[in-house]
Amino acid sequence: MSYHIAVCAGIVPDPLQTLEPVSGPQGPALKNEMMLPAVLDPWAAHALYEASHLAKNVPGSKVYLVSLAPKAKLQQVLMTMAQKVAFELVALDGPSSGFTESADVASALAAAIEAIPGLDRSQLLLFGGWESAARAAGTTLAMVGERLGITEQFQGVDALKVGADGSLEILERVEGGKHQVSVCAGAPAVLGWATGSLPEPPNSPQTGMQNMRTVMPALQKAKPAQVGAHAFLSVSLPKQQRTTRIVKDVPAAEVAREIAAWIRGS
Amino acid sequence: METILVLLHPDAEGAIAKAGLEAIAAAHGLGGEVIIGLVGGNAAGAAKVIGGAGRVLAVEGDAFSQSRYATDAAAAQALVAASKAGIVMAPATSRWSRCLAGVAQRCGGRIDSHITAIAPEGVTRWYYRQRIEATFTRAELPWFLLLESGAASAWQGAPCDGTFERIAVEAAPRTEVKGVVSPGAGEQTVKPEAELLFVAGAGWTKKQKDGAAHVERAGELILGIVRTAGASLGSSKSLVDLSGEGQAVLPFLSHLNQVGQTGSTPRHPKGLATCCHGEEPHVVGWRFIQDRRAVNLDANCGWARGKADVLYVADAFEVMEELNRLLA
Amino acid sequence: MSMEPSGNESPAIERPSMDVDIVCAGFGPATGGFLTTLTRGLPLEDGTLPQVMCYERADDIGFGVSGVVTRARGIRASFPELNPDEIPMAAPVREEKVLYLLDPIGASRRSFTLKSADSLLRAAGVLDHEAFELPLIPAFLEKHDGLVMSIGQFNQWVGQQIMMSGMAQIWPGMPVAAPLIDGSRVAGVQLLDHELQPGMEIKAALTVVGDGPVGPVGRQLDEHFGMPEGHEKREWAVGMKMVIDLPEGSPLEPGMVLHSFGYPEPEIFGFFYVHPGNVASAGIFVPSWFDSPVRTTYRYLQHFLQHPYLWRYVEGGRLRSWGAKTLNEAGRRGEPHLVGDGWARIGEGSGSTNVLTGSGVDEAWTTGTQLGEAVLELLREKKPFTKENLEATYVRRRRASWLEQESLTAEKSRDGFHRGIVAGMLGMALAGFSHGRLHIPGAPIEHMPKVEDFFSERIPAARVDEIRREAASSGKPLHDALMDAWGWPAIPYDGQLLVTQQDALLMGGKVQAAPGYADHVAFRDEALCASCGGKTCVSVCSGQALTDAPERPAFDREKCIHCGACMWNCERENVVFMAGAGGLHSAEN
Repeated sequence: MSYHIAVCAGIVPDPLQTLEPVSGPQGPALKNEMMLPAVLDPWAAHALYEASHLAKNVPGSKVYLVSLAPKAKLQQVLMTMAQKVAFELVALDGPSSGFTESADVASALAAAIEAIPGLDRSQLLLFGGWESAARAAGTTLAMVGERLGITEQFQGVDALKVGADGSLEILERVEGGKHQVSVCAGAPAVLGWATGSLPEPPNSPQTGMQNMRTVMPALQKAKPAQVGAHAFLSVSLPKQQRTTRIVKDVPAAEVAREIAAWIRGS
Repeated sequence: METILVLLHPDAEGAIAKAGLEAIAAAHGLGGEVIIGLVGGNAAGAAKVIGGAGRVLAVEGDAFSQSRYATDAAAAQALVAASKAGIVMAPATSRWSRCLAGVAQRCGGRIDSHITAIAPEGVTRWYYRQRIEATFTRAELPWFLLLESGAASAWQGAPCDGTFERIAVEAAPRTEVKGVVSPGAGEQTVKPEAELLFVAGAGWTKKQKDGAAHVERAGELILGIVRTAGASLGSSKSLVDLSGEGQAVLPFLSHLNQVGQTGSTPRHPKGLATCCHGEEPHVVGWRFIQDRRAVNLDANCGWARGKADVLYVADAFEVMEELNRLLA
Repeated sequence: MSMEPSGNESPAIERPSMDVDIVCAGFGPATGGFLTTLTRGLPLEDGTLPQVMCYERADDIGFGVSGVVTRARGIRASFPELNPDEIPMAAPVREEKVLYLLDPIGASRRSFTLKSADSLLRAAGVLDHEAFELPLIPAFLEKHDGLVMSIGQFNQWVGQQIMMSGMAQIWPGMPVAAPLIDGSRVAGVQLLDHELQPGMEIKAALTVVGDGPVGPVGRQLDEHFGMPEGHEKREWAVGMKMVIDLPEGSPLEPGMVLHSFGYPEPEIFGFFYVHPGNVASAGIFVPSWFDSPVRTTYRYLQHFLQHPYLWRYVEGGRLRSWGAKTLNEAGRRGEPHLVGDGWARIGEGSGSTNVLTGSGVDEAWTTGTQLGEAVLELLREKKPFTKENLEATYVRRRRASWLEQESLTAEKSRDGFHRGIVAGMLGMALAGFSHGRLHIPGAPIEHMPKVEDFFSERIPAARVDEIRREAASSGKPLHDALMDAWGWPAIPYDGQLLVTQQDALLMGGKVQAAPGYADHVAFRDEALCASCGGKTCVSVCSGQALTDAPERPAFDREKCIHCGACMWNCERENVVFMAGAGGLHSAEN
């Protein structure tokens, strides 16, 4: 038993960047979008670490990173990600904006996965983040799975355990800060990861060099993906400015009394 | 106007959660014919209490009583087909969120999630994790909409007559649902129903004014307020990351506690942020907190200024010592 | 290895190792120039393709900082068809002014001479918003044919082209801790330890050191091999900048360049450049010859912005980005040994910055291109990277170029500043107009004045003591309290442009540090710190990563932007500044 794990992961602005919407020729966009430093989508990055961990523990397994993003930006992000875990890159050149159509992205990703030479669909685990930090809809991965005919799907996954019989025990986030436990008979399956349990791996020069053998050729031959967007009526920043009452030069005990009264609702 | 199908999963007693009633009300706000589609083990029970629809369709049976992609997707697909609906609405429960994108794909439709407002002109949702808001509409049908709680007020009215059309669905899932567990063996710190969200920032683990860090004491004070105030505990990403990687930080924190751009955006009536410092990505963590207060040493802190209702410029250690005593 | 703690404290540890042909420490304009030139010549005519690796500490190759207005002679030589529109934030220089800024609030420490000059200028009615525009710009300062840029965007633009060529790999987020010194030879570099894995040894036939003015590899080479006779690195500056979204309807055109001196302190130079898209960069340089023990650059930057001449343009604007770095202001005098067996140095750490023209990026780039040509020559001729061969190729090119001629002109041009601002300006003019034949001599101060002495004119020693105690008990910065007491007005924070230093780190610099790495700032002798009255390392710290504490300053590596100012501001040489991870996460500086 071994797995072919395809991890779908886009790129998003580095989380601390200031985001501001602007109108562009293709619809809404982020101001200075191409200048903002980018990272691999955080939840999808967790999926990638989990995929790598699983592949190490199940000999013969293989990890593919499938990404649709502007080629030059993706290359830059990969210089960091490629140092963390080993993967084979499948790249598509196209917008990574959150305002694009998830059905289009799903169609492009599914086609790219289907075209991976030697991919064993019966052993396919389709990984990704349960939501991106861009469109933040949590819809793309499920549609990719459907296009690939996978009917066992899980979202908000925090843990995956492979049983001796090849079954997959999966913990998914559900309401109330709890996890639902399911056991899937085996691959193929779709797992949309939340944070999982693995720390971010440190950068490794060897892993980087190993990945570069496929990363640069994959980027060079990345095909343009047809991704559109629906019509937007308005796009804006949230109006959330509040009038902040500042309490200073007051003893801590008095502050505590005021907060206690507020918590008690008096 | 298109026919609207509202998908609901009643519980074992046939009860419908508030989010489901909100979806019915939202559907009525659009003005088309409303059909209710039930999926679950006790559709008959639900059909007796549910109202607001001319037709009720149901997929019943043990296989459909559990939250599972294969069965839920098959049921929803059959209900969409039977209803011939152009618009499909459902509350954004973990169950519908898991399966409806796949169903949209099967039906050749489109889906939008995290809808916070809905009107005939268009729907509204957040992008970039609550940092940008957009209103839009679509031409493609069927159009699936997953509604956030609070997107409409709960539907109120007389129940239907209890009749429903049973839709037969075959299902042979490869997945068995074993049940639900609470995370970890430790104390429950994520409490969605709590009145108060207590947000602990990275400042708790930093060196304090005596030049030393007091992490253990910080942990006691934070857990203290979680207990005494019955608060839910939220945390910044950096604090959670440190906790997860074996450093001398707060052992009771997990990624489930993380709020903000890469964490959750919980809803609580009140929020108290302590030792937090940050800008927009962190502040999204309390986008849906109504009444917000903060304790911070910096009067000009970007986390609090313009984002909190009250900022106490004070030492959080000192304030929390006293607050724990007062609330004990 | 002869160095003090280098971030990799256990030499006995078993390290993985990897062999490559050429390894570069640091990616900035110099390494950009080197790799651009080198990769264009690869593979060699005989099909040979050496393996070329570059390791950069920052988490992205676009996270560098510089206030860049450059004549771009070297850059244009590499890109003859350069179209500034291709590089975000770049614009041709269209208008250039040198301003003498007067002090509108009376807090600046001005000599009698300056005060007299100020009175005369005011009486003459030649001021515009408390500034005097110099009627002409000396030719040696002019950048009229140059470019305004963001170094982050430029590095990104260059790096992408190098990477896409497939001829070299540039790895960000991978700090180089130390050179692998083997007798007189450098055999490669050692990467920084992470708690989950020891730093790898990267062995290479050639090690290219371009890790900047305070880079750990360059400094360890200086320590091991010493400096050439008569050369020393004793002159520094902190350069700090903000990138600002100008208010809507701003009249400023892209390519406008202002250079300033005179305010907030006479010794502090300033700049203001306008980029396309209604964006400006504004910044200051606080030099080591400004003899204040309270060199708190961030506070001074906020006062600079509020000078009436600039404030009319930036009021209502918004902070987009922020950053700071150390500049090696010793220039040619700080030039170390440029080559040795298996190694070569390029860029600012190699003494390329021209201190007279105030230009460093293009010079650094040019040193890189010269090394690139030299390495191609040696590769083609199949000659080893010996000291002799590198001398004959790289150093020969460098000595024969405009870079060398101009750096010789500049070498002593700023010595006069050690006697004061007026002598300094005259010295620059003398050196500039005489092509370096004349200068006003001066030597760096040996000891920083005590806080009590420096402020004695306005703050009695007893009050200084009181302020010190208050600062210690409240945990608030001493330097801010001293500046308040001196008469600098409080900053009217608006949450948009005038923000706290911590907000500047988050909103502007987006400063972060990956977990798993050790603290990279340490103190050799805590007793020395305890007896230090000035703690200049704390006041100068660009990120407030150092804060005062009873025994020694406390260091928070998550706030460090790796400017290295703590190191050169400790006159007791008690600060150990090592290789570390993280820093700025803005690509707009």
